[in-house]
Amino acid sequence: MDSLDLLLGGFAQALTPMNLLWVFIGAFLGTAVGVLPGLGSAMAVALLLPVTFSLDPVGAFIMFAGVYFGGLFGDSTMGILMNTPGGSTAIATTFEGHRMAKDGRAPQALATSAIGAFIGGIIATTLVVFFAPRLAELAVLFGPGEYFALAIFAFVATASVVSDSVTKGLSALVIGLTLAVIGIDGISGAARFTLGVPELFDGVSIIVITVGILALGEVFHVASRIHRDPVLTSIAISARPYLSKAEFREALPAWLRGTAFGVPFGVIPVGGAEVPTFMAYGTERTLDRKRRTPKFGSGAIRGVAAPEAAGNATSGTAMGALLALGLPTSATAAIMLAAFQQYGLQPGPLLFERSPDLVWALLASLFVGLVMLLILNLPFAPIWAKLILVPKPYLYAGISVFCALGVYATSAAVSDLLLVFGIGFVGFLLRRYGFPLAPVMIGVVLGPLAETSLRNALASSGGDATVLISSGISITLYGILALVMVYGITRKIRARQMQDV
Amino acid sequence: MSSDTTQHAPDAARQEPPRGFFAGRSELVLALLVAGVGAYLTIGVVTMDVPPGARPPGPQFFPVLIAIASFVLAALLAVQTFRHPEPASAPAAAPAGSAPRYRTHSDWKSLSMVLVAFLAFCLLLEPVGWILSAALMFWAISYALGSRRRYFDPALALVFSSFIQVAFSAGLGLALPSGILEGMF
Repeated sequence: MDSLDLLLGGFAQALTPMNLLWVFIGAFLGTAVGVLPGLGSAMAVALLLPVTFSLDPVGAFIMFAGVYFGGLFGDSTMGILMNTPGGSTAIATTFEGHRMAKDGRAPQALATSAIGAFIGGIIATTLVVFFAPRLAELAVLFGPGEYFALAIFAFVATASVVSDSVTKGLSALVIGLTLAVIGIDGISGAARFTLGVPELFDGVSIIVITVGILALGEVFHVASRIHRDPVLTSIAISARPYLSKAEFREALPAWLRGTAFGVPFGVIPVGGAEVPTFMAYGTERTLDRKRRTPKFGSGAIRGVAAPEAAGNATSGTAMGALLALGLPTSATAAIMLAAFQQYGLQPGPLLFERSPDLVWALLASLFVGLVMLLILNLPFAPIWAKLILVPKPYLYAGISVFCALGVYATSAAVSDLLLVFGIGFVGFLLRRYGFPLAPVMIGVVLGPLAETSLRNALASSGGDATVLISSGISITLYGILALVMVYGITRKIRARQMQDV
Repeated sequence: MSSDTTQHAPDAARQEPPRGFFAGRSELVLALLVAGVGAYLTIGVVTMDVPPGARPPGPQFFPVLIAIASFVLAALLAVQTFRHPEPASAPAAAPAGSAPRYRTHSDWKSLSMVLVAFLAFCLLLEPVGWILSAALMFWAISYALGSRRRYFDPALALVFSSFIQVAFSAGLGLALPSGILEGMF
C-alpha cells in the first residue's frame, strides 16, 4: 500500500524524542484546557501560536494535534463528575455520565469515555490515512462555485443547527464576516473599512479574534458572574477508572455506532462535533427503549460510549478535511488553518504533493497522540479532576496575562492589544445574551474563501448567478444542507415538545 | 451599556426592582451592535476608493450583502427582544428567597475592575515594561475575582510575569516588550 509506506515514513519522523515531547506537551495542555469548564482546545491553540513561531512547522503541528484531541478527551471528565461539560461536544456525554457518577460508577463512566474517545479517534484517523489522498484528488474537481457552496453550507449549518436561535446564530456569523472583510481586498487592491488606519491594512489577525472572542471574552464573562453563580461541587472518586469484561462488551457496539455517526461530520461542515454527538446519543436512547431492561435515565454506559466516540471520530476526519480540502469544520481546525498559513503553507490538494513530510508526520503523530492521551487519561483521570482546585482568581488572571502575551508577541503592537480588548468585550456580550460563538469563528475563517469564490465564479460567468448551481457537486451540497436543516428543525421542535410535558 | 448599568443602591438589591421599559430588554444592545456593523459597512462601501479597472463584482459587492443581512438581522433581534424580555431576576439557579436579588444580571463591579486592569496594561506596557504591567494586571484581576491574600497575591503576580519574561527571552529568544520582535517574522 502506498499510503502505508508514507505513513511508516511519518512514524519515523514522529517518533523522534523531540517530536514525542511536543506530542506530550500538546496532549497534556489539551487535556488540561479540556478539563477546565469554559476553556477549549481552540483557545489553547490560539494562545500557543506565538510560542510556536520559533519551532519548525512539523513540531508545531504535532503539538497542535495533541492539543486538538486532548481537548476532547478532557472535556467529558468534568461533565461526568460535576455535571458541567467542559465543552459543547461533551453535553451529550454528560446526561448519562453524571448519572453513572452519582450512582457510584464514576470510574466506569470515565473509562468508557476515555476508551470511546480513543476508539473514535483511531478509526477516524485510519480512514483519513487511506482516504485523504483520494479526497485531495476529488478536491481538484472543486471550482469557485463548489467552494462557495461549501462555505455557504458551513455558514448556514453552523448558524442554524448548532445554535438555539437562528437569528442569534446568523448575527454572530455577520460579526465574523465583517471582521473578515476588513483590510486590503486581495482581488482589486482596494483598502476596505480601515478608516485609513495603516495597522488595519493587513486585516484583523485571526489570533486577535480568537483570543478576544474565546479567551478574553470568557475571562470577562467569568468576572461578571463569579460572585453570583453557585459554587459547583465535584463527585469524589476513589478507584481507578476501569471496565469489567461485561461492561466492555456492553459498550463496544455503542462505541462503533458512535464512530459511524462521527466520521462523516468531520467532512461536512456543521461547526464541530456537537451535532454528531447528539445524533449518536439519540440513537442509543432509541435503541435502548427497545431492550428488555432499558437503562437510559439510570446511568447507561452506552449513553456515554456513543457520543464520546462520535466526538473524536468527527475531529479525526475533520483533520483529513483540513489537510486535503483546506476546509476547516470547527473553530480549532480554523485556527490550525491560520497556523498553516502563518508558515506559508496552504492546506488543500497541493499540500500532499508539496509537503508530504509534514502531512505524514502529522498523521502519524495523531496516532501517537491518541495512544498518549489514552495513557494520560485512563489511569490518571482522578488527578485531572483535581485541576478544578486551582483557585479561579489565579486561573483567570493567568489566562488574561497569556492573552496579552499571545497578542503582543505576534505583532508587538499596542493597537492589537486594544483591538483584542474590544473584541473580547463583544465576546462577553455574545456570551451574556446566549449568542453562539462558533459562527463568529467560521465567518472569520471561511469569509475570505466565500467572497473570493463568489466573485471569481460571477466574474467568469459574466454575472450569471446560475453558475453557482451548475455542477453536480454544488447541487449535492445544497441538498445535504437542506437535509441537515430539516434534522436541526425537527430536533428543535422535539426538544420544545419534550419541555412542555 | 444600556440603562441597567447604573448605580447599585444597597437596598435596591432587596426590594422588587422597578420594571422600566428597558428592564429585561438590555439585549437591545446586541441589536444595536449588529445594526452598527451594518452602518459601518455601509459608510465604508460608500466612501471606498475603488481602483480603476476592478472587474465586477468589485470589492464592494460582498460587503453590501453583509450590510443588508446585518440590517435585517438587527431588526429581527430587536423585535425578538421586545416580544420576549428576560425574566426579572437571575435564572432559577438558587431557590427563591435564599439568594439576594441583583439589579443587573452581570456583576458590573467585578467586570469593570477586570476591564480597567486590561486597559491599564495596554497603556502601561510600553512605557513601564512587561514585568511590572503584567504583574499589575494579574494582581488586579485576581483581586477582582475575589482573591484577598495581601502579600501572596502580588508576589505570585510578580513571579508569574518575571517567569514569562525569562522563559521568552532565554528559551525563545524574544524580548518583551520591545521592537525587536518585528525583525523575526
